[in-house]
Amino acid sequence: MSVLDSTPPVRGLTPWIGVLVWILAILFVLMLAAGAPFGGALEGFLSGAFGGRRFAYLMTTLSRATLIVGMALAVMLSFRAGLFNIGGEGQLVLGGLVAALVGVYLPGPPLLVVAAGILAGMAAGAAWAVLAGVLQLYVGVPLLVGSLLLNYPARYLASYVVGHPLRDVASGLPQSHLVPVEAWLPFFPGTRLDIGILFVVAAAVFAIVYSHTTVHGYRARMTGHSAPFAEASGLPVRRLALQTLAMSGAIAGLVGAIAVFGIHHRYIDGMLVQPLYAWTGIVAVLLVKMIPWAVPLSGFFFAALQTGAAGMERAAGVPKELAITMQAVIILFVASRLTGLHFGGGAGEGGRPGEGGDGT
Amino acid sequence: MRVELSDITVRFGDLTAVDRVSLDFRSGEVHALVGENGAGKTTVMNALFGLVRSASGSIAVDGETCRWASPQDAIARGLGMVHQHFMLQDSMTVLENIVLCNEPTGRFGFVDFRAARAHMAEVATAYGIEVDLDATVGALSLGQRQVVEILKVLYRHADMLILDEPTAVLTPQEKDRLFGVLRNFRRDGKAIVLITHKLDEVMELADRVSVMRGGRLISSAPVAETTKTAIARDIVGGELPAEIARAERAPGAVVLSVDGLTVRSRGRTVGPISFDVRAGEIVGVAGVSGNGQAELVQALTGLRRAHGGSVRLAGRPLDGLDVGARRARGMSYIPEDRQRVGLALEARVSENAAIGRMDQPGFRRGPFRIRSAMNRFAAELIARYRIKVAGPEARAATMSGGNKQKLVVGRELSRDTPLVVVENPTWGVDIGAIEFIHSELVRMRDAGHAILMVSTELDEVLALSDRILVLYEGRISGEVARAEADRTAVGQLMVSHGPSAAEIAA
Repeated sequence: MSVLDSTPPVRGLTPWIGVLVWILAILFVLMLAAGAPFGGALEGFLSGAFGGRRFAYLMTTLSRATLIVGMALAVMLSFRAGLFNIGGEGQLVLGGLVAALVGVYLPGPPLLVVAAGILAGMAAGAAWAVLAGVLQLYVGVPLLVGSLLLNYPARYLASYVVGHPLRDVASGLPQSHLVPVEAWLPFFPGTRLDIGILFVVAAAVFAIVYSHTTVHGYRARMTGHSAPFAEASGLPVRRLALQTLAMSGAIAGLVGAIAVFGIHHRYIDGMLVQPLYAWTGIVAVLLVKMIPWAVPLSGFFFAALQTGAAGMERAAGVPKELAITMQAVIILFVASRLTGLHFGGGAGEGGRPGEGGDGT
Repeated sequence: MRVELSDITVRFGDLTAVDRVSLDFRSGEVHALVGENGAGKTTVMNALFGLVRSASGSIAVDGETCRWASPQDAIARGLGMVHQHFMLQDSMTVLENIVLCNEPTGRFGFVDFRAARAHMAEVATAYGIEVDLDATVGALSLGQRQVVEILKVLYRHADMLILDEPTAVLTPQEKDRLFGVLRNFRRDGKAIVLITHKLDEVMELADRVSVMRGGRLISSAPVAETTKTAIARDIVGGELPAEIARAERAPGAVVLSVDGLTVRSRGRTVGPISFDVRAGEIVGVAGVSGNGQAELVQALTGLRRAHGGSVRLAGRPLDGLDVGARRARGMSYIPEDRQRVGLALEARVSENAAIGRMDQPGFRRGPFRIRSAMNRFAAELIARYRIKVAGPEARAATMSGGNKQKLVVGRELSRDTPLVVVENPTWGVDIGAIEFIHSELVRMRDAGHAILMVSTELDEVLALSDRILVLYEGRISGEVARAEADRTAVGQLMVSHGPSAAEIAA
């Protein structure tokens, strides 16, 4: 399978121009209604996402993109195998929590602590994902339900742990103690961007290479295309499912660990849940139809939308609620473009003779 | 009533499915429309019925040109169509299904079932149709469901009846009953269109036969003035292939041994089933669909857990092994559903071809797959099994039904295993592909492989099998040797338990 998987996302430029016009028109109307200056808002958006003094805002966007892309990669691996693991949030939270606890309580040289914390976070995420798989394969709880429901115990377990037994009481907030400063991920020189992004780049390279070139990735994808096909062909479908979920969960756990060692330096209640990283990751994957190389771009796009919206609010006073509405408009239009719907036209290409025509 | 189609052309994108076809249907006539799959038979009828829009051409009913906006207009003009795949609500009764979307309403807007019932009873007796109007459709056999579909059309006062492959799912007895009803319709002056690919049925029932090939009308003539051979030649467009030659039967050692196999599914039990398949023979399993074939095949291949009994392959027990382990021990499987089970349609041809081979040397290097090896293997299959497709990198979905099936057959047979389990191998594929697949199966048999072929197509079972087992209600109702096999004998076993052991002993 070549890198140009599925339908190429760009079929022609003209329809995209149409979409862009639609988006701008709707945004214009929205801003008119809110009484915000259009030009100022756009400028605020761009500088909020990519600008700032010494590109500070671009760094913020990259930092956010690190987490979103990481979650998107986790989702992509399982979705491509036909495993609807929507429990990324739980896997992320447990990964972050375990990484923070290791970081706070494991004595030893800083490098060892970081390495152990990241590995433990990955193991925790993987275990949580595998648990959802076991529930489906051996207990009969559909993965969609099981993985979703497992988010709650993970979330509240983490809240409890940092809210009660292992709380940093002196700080007055529900959060763990700080990881020793020597074990923090360093910043790139002259920036406020930590090197966590390198881990996600590595994960992205792994995910893309895995999907396109390995036997395991090929088998998992065949299972995703048609589970009965994989089963009848004698593939070890259960083992494939559990292994794929483990990979997916491990990446989610890695993201949690990066957030701890690189950004927050402790586990703060809600720090991985409130920004909806896991859910944004799912949308980012679906938007590009699970094509591996496009997932990092899509994740970056969403991060830019979010930081850009914040910039718009700062610069032009566009209320955040409006910014979020605009985000939704943009996503809807881009999604409709990518899935091949047309605006202002009929049904498009019309019915093609599928296999229904087989029995002519 | 007279319905004329002139110069109908239907396009799907770049594909011309129907190319300037003109047909003429009259009251009191059974008009058979024959051709291979993909010849455009169903499409041209769908155009007549308003289900697809024709790019050009016109339809005239009794000399008056008509344009349908939807099938509702066609129905209003007295046309009725019974589709190949039934469109019934399983949980509703026969009567409810019949009146659905066309309910007779009483004064207060309630459905007047009494009027409908009286009307239907009248129609049923007039045409000699037996049906229980209060039965739930889900509980009916396929033959009975077809009757319901026909009643649905009659209820709307159709003068013209289009039947798409109506006998595909029927037993020989049910088919005879259906043809009896259709003869009554003809006597009553209805126009009947029979889309089929079974020439025996054409010769038996039709007055007129039109042959389509590649979207064009090849010939149209009264049945009395043509012959089966001439029609068959028009269908395939050239000389007919000779009958498949097969070696003298020389069965070898037992390859597959099934002993008391029982399978439970959805509250019913299939089995106990016992039989052997030897090297160098094709054992056919006949039966009306739904009599335990699927359960039997799934239990043999490891897709479903058996409840009891044992299965041995070349003397070694298979019980408790999963699909992969069974295949590794020398079993191949050609499933009936190529769309979901046989292939991954969205994947490439090479990816479909190499599935299950990745552990063989040459296909992988450590954790990586060798794409060139996969492509080369797919190219071999394409050449060896004459599969029409753009190439190994093309998507499986781009192939026609027959070529998809050839890919599945080629992939499985090329594994060269002692046992091949085959399930409806030619379901819905064209005559050329049928011919090819059948000859490949016979070639495997002659080469000493054991083949178990489950098929609901009786002609296929009769043509290929050395022995025929008949499944009825989950058990083997009888076994017939090739020499003694004929349609009536096997047909009887398909609908009743054969003489029991006790009767034979007595």
